[in-house]
Amino acid sequence: MTKTSKGANRMTLNRRQIMASGLALGTASLGAGRVLAADGDPIRIGFMSPRTGPLAGFGVTDGYVLDQVRAALKGGLTIGGKTYAVEILDRDTQSDPGLASQLAKDLINNGGIDMMLATSTPEVVNPASDACEAAGVPCLSTVVPWEAWYFGRGAKPGAPSPFKWTYHFSFGVDTFKKTYLSQWAQLETNKKVAVMYPNDADGNAIRAGLAPLLAAGGYTIVDPGPYETGTSDYSTQIAMFRDAGCEIFNTFPIPPDFAAFWQQAAQQGLHKQLKIVQVAKTGLFPGDIEALGSLGANIASADYWHRDFPYPSTATGIKAADLADGYEAATGMQWTQQLGATMALFDAGIEALKAASDPKGKAALAAAYAKLNVVTMVGKVDFTSGPVANVSVAPIIGSQWVKSESGKFTYDTVITENATDPNVPVTHKLLPYNA
Amino acid sequence: MTMAVERWTAQSRAGVGGAALVLGALALAPMLIGPGIVDRLTALFIYVILAAMWNALAGYCGLVSIGQQLFFGLGAYATIRIAFAGVDPFLAMILGAVAVGVLAWPVSLFMLRLKGGEFSIGMWVLASIGQLCVKLDPMIQGETGSSLISLNAYGADLRRNLIYWGALAAMTCLLAALFALLRSREGLAIQAIRDNEEAATSLGVRPERTKRRLFVLAAFGIALAGALWLAQAVSFQPKSYFSVQWTAYMIFMVLVGGIGRFEGAILGAVLFFAVETFFAATGVWYLIGLGATAIVFSLYFPRGLWGAVAARTGVQLLPLGYRATNTET
Repeated sequence: MTKTSKGANRMTLNRRQIMASGLALGTASLGAGRVLAADGDPIRIGFMSPRTGPLAGFGVTDGYVLDQVRAALKGGLTIGGKTYAVEILDRDTQSDPGLASQLAKDLINNGGIDMMLATSTPEVVNPASDACEAAGVPCLSTVVPWEAWYFGRGAKPGAPSPFKWTYHFSFGVDTFKKTYLSQWAQLETNKKVAVMYPNDADGNAIRAGLAPLLAAGGYTIVDPGPYETGTSDYSTQIAMFRDAGCEIFNTFPIPPDFAAFWQQAAQQGLHKQLKIVQVAKTGLFPGDIEALGSLGANIASADYWHRDFPYPSTATGIKAADLADGYEAATGMQWTQQLGATMALFDAGIEALKAASDPKGKAALAAAYAKLNVVTMVGKVDFTSGPVANVSVAPIIGSQWVKSESGKFTYDTVITENATDPNVPVTHKLLPYNA
Repeated sequence: MTMAVERWTAQSRAGVGGAALVLGALALAPMLIGPGIVDRLTALFIYVILAAMWNALAGYCGLVSIGQQLFFGLGAYATIRIAFAGVDPFLAMILGAVAVGVLAWPVSLFMLRLKGGEFSIGMWVLASIGQLCVKLDPMIQGETGSSLISLNAYGADLRRNLIYWGALAAMTCLLAALFALLRSREGLAIQAIRDNEEAATSLGVRPERTKRRLFVLAAFGIALAGALWLAQAVSFQPKSYFSVQWTAYMIFMVLVGGIGRFEGAILGAVLFFAVETFFAATGVWYLIGLGATAIVFSLYFPRGLWGAVAARTGVQLLPLGYRATNTET
């Protein structure tokens, strides 16, 4: 009866503010809790990401990135001849969309933020964007398929964008198609693709959007239908893939489901016939692959950032490889692709502040976002030419997890194709999984 | 010595007058307080609705439901669905809650045949089924959810205040409706059922009809609370609206405040709100504290805070029962 696991959600005011509310009610004093913007005020940036809870894999590197950005902005930002101090108010959503919504409102109402930045999964980004759209605060976000951000928040296909304050850059279904077609053409196969798409938001979107595009690209899709998250026996699907003689496998699972499926596939010999094992969602981070033991080698993935990317961060001047090395040196943990994505969010956000006629004027900042066209750590962020207004499509680069060459960690991810951004160097050829 | 039976004691007159004053002050409050506090008070009103509605079922009819999140989620879902069709979002909230109330009638026909624990678990099962059905809607797209973006047609300040007044009005009307129901002839039956269902039945009270009305009222009220929560949060994700945490909150508020007491549910909601505001940031310890409090109350104060106060002092702020008083001077 005390399953109040989301109980920590509603904390949005501190004691002093509640006292202030009592005073306001009792003595009719005006304007308690309001933060007044005045000249000389710092620019306040809200930053939201999941640093604890089931999505913590995304947020684990954010502390390090925040340190770099804060250090780079220590002297303030000079915009239009005027120097502003910059304050970053970072919040952990604990992977809970309800808390994300409350935290966003708290940052807007009580934190007095001028701009919001949000990253990693619809559970964080969509509530944050909604709160900003509601309050008229400019918001930039990333690392959610743009369709889930745009249509998942009630926009209608074909209609003009309903969003005035919120902007998003990320990969989409079409990006996956280009990457997969380029990746799979590297090996000689019978073009039969076994797919395991779960019955969740991503799975259904991919089944509806990506599978037909792959079929049009000359691949035969063998789809046993949606499976429920938490399934423990996959022998039917494995037998179906084995009998069909599939040589490519594509899936969008959460890590525990993939671990269960892949162990059973190995026991039943499916892994020996597969030349390409293309896994999305699981395998973004090294821990997911390490958990598979020796079965993790040569699993193909796709990265929204990589340490071999050619673009330095505009906000901090840090180069891609230095960011990865710096993180490893500071924490002793392996770098992840989220490092570059979070940094790119700050890159684009700060470029928008610089481009705005008045960085503390919310309408001026939103107008600057609409015209933003810059190169960030993950590549181009361009709101003048997206598939819909408010959206910029970012690349996702085909990659593969291989045995680490340096030996410092178990596996390294290496770039195997670059169809969605030819500036990214291809360093390795895709190896067959069953070699 | 002469005795008189009366409803309106001096205490209850003061109680009702005080309640009217507080509500009047709250209605004017948005002019004086900051937006953060307006948002928090909106949450408080929603908690009061939730507690009062759960109390109406459990406290008066003995219907301990752990699936009331069904109505909370459906209220939010119906609102977003109706608003998506082009209806004004505020109108959609009312229509959505009414639709859920109407749906609750056929649901009650079979759910109220279940007794005790079967009813509790049955409601939970229904809530899970409701969540699965909502996820099948192509507009909701599984767990992705959707957002009530048509609210953006209203400016930020106006909208915040409209939602605040909406929540205040919903709370006042629902409490008034419950109050009127409990004071009516039906209410006498309800309180008889609370005290002893078998004895009440043997005296000719028909519990089914009475229970059904309260079940539908509670469904409507909780659906309205869900719609209001959606209005202030904007984002709808099935997982968070159909979460059992909502019912856990209701149980906590009613248990601590005083089950089967009109004032108890309100007191419980205010306490829960205060505890959450001051201690939620302590994370795990806050949750442990909530759980421990619930255990202590169910073991040592089974009638809750208000129950303990009322039993000791005989205070009744709202004139629900009848009092026999000594009128000799």
